[in-house]
Amino acid sequence: MSQFTLYDYVLSGNCYKIRLMAGLLNVAYDTVPVDFYPGLEHRGEAMRALNPSGTLPVLVAGELILSETQSMLGWLAASFDRSGMWYPVSDAGLHAQVLQWLGFSARLTASVGAARLNAMLDWPTDIETVRGAARKDLDELEVLLTDRVFAGQTWLVGDGPTIADIACFPYVALSPDAGFEHDGYPAIRNWLYAVRSLPGFVTMPGIHPLHELREAESDG
Amino acid sequence: MLTAPVGLIRDLDPKRVMRAQVNGQDLVVWRASNGDISAWDNRCPHRGMALSHGFVRGNDLACLYHGWHYGGTGVCRYIPAHPELDPPKTIKATVFSVAIADGVIWVNTQGAAEPAPVPMASQPLRSFHVVSHSESLARACRTVAFEGAFPEQLEQGLYQLGARQVFLLENPLDQGRLQITALADADATPEGCAALSRWCEAVRRSAQEEKVAA
Repeated sequence: MSQFTLYDYVLSGNCYKIRLMAGLLNVAYDTVPVDFYPGLEHRGEAMRALNPSGTLPVLVAGELILSETQSMLGWLAASFDRSGMWYPVSDAGLHAQVLQWLGFSARLTASVGAARLNAMLDWPTDIETVRGAARKDLDELEVLLTDRVFAGQTWLVGDGPTIADIACFPYVALSPDAGFEHDGYPAIRNWLYAVRSLPGFVTMPGIHPLHELREAESDG
Repeated sequence: MLTAPVGLIRDLDPKRVMRAQVNGQDLVVWRASNGDISAWDNRCPHRGMALSHGFVRGNDLACLYHGWHYGGTGVCRYIPAHPELDPPKTIKATVFSVAIADGVIWVNTQGAAEPAPVPMASQPLRSFHVVSHSESLARACRTVAFEGAFPEQLEQGLYQLGARQVFLLENPLDQGRLQITALADADATPEGCAALSRWCEAVRRSAQEEKVAA
């Protein structure tokens, strides 16, 4: 049974966060494709009536209308994850760390995400400032993930995947679209691989599946 | 320096693929299911696709484009579009010499890989890129304090940081970048390694800022 409606653009990393989280939680939903480019439909009156900020994605579940991806991830986990793993609100420290990374994910959207839009769609932006911020954000993530390696950990928070990983994953995985390769970031590479290995993982253009995980069925 | 360090074996698990560069040669470095590590020209002999986008199937590397499989010797072993065909042995990736020492993956694109000696009992720290050159990096290593004191350079690449030691291996890349493979002394705890990793990051930033200012 469909649990919500997602107003969606297939190339958007932020829309993908919601499709990915829904896939990982095995939640059924409907999509309404929105012509972000070249139609700019998300800024039209019909979409503004739903979301005055004129951004994508928009999530509608009954009376609930959400327009920020962090709130959608929190709502999905709180509604459909019985294990409590994805959004560990019962532990104040873990909860705060998740919120910290959700804030970081917004920085990634404004840096790597904006650089990518500029590279792919010639989207107007202050490209030098945005590229500098993107490099700084990726460098920072690499150092923090290297700390996790020494702590014997794989994920951003605690000892399992959380919405923090899902919030940060898309624009880091898509950074080569903007010319930021992962060659110099081994800790980021291994973390991206861990996310892509999760059961229920879904892809998008630019993020392909792990063919090697299907070795048994296709090589036999 | 014909044999160059391209990263830490800790960072490349079996069945994983990465891209590297030695002496201007673009490389795919990959690790088979059995743990063997190979370094090849990053170019599929079929259509020239970067093999670093490929994936490991058993002990073969498969190209992402048309799925051609290459074994550890570089010879094509399987073409999915022609499953009955035994591929000609002349279809072969260009293979380079690899050696593993001190947890570091070494590659020589012109002969047999001979790892440089590491002057201490070591453990892997981290591998990173820096937009800088050797002199700026060495200067940054001496002028970025660790736990309140300036490090002492003991020899090329080797620094004393209080009770700790760090050894930095350099591999020059294109676009004015260096790839650094950093090792810590074997006695450093995980917390100590994290602190040394942060120091490396401060060194990286300092060396890059000097480059920008110059």
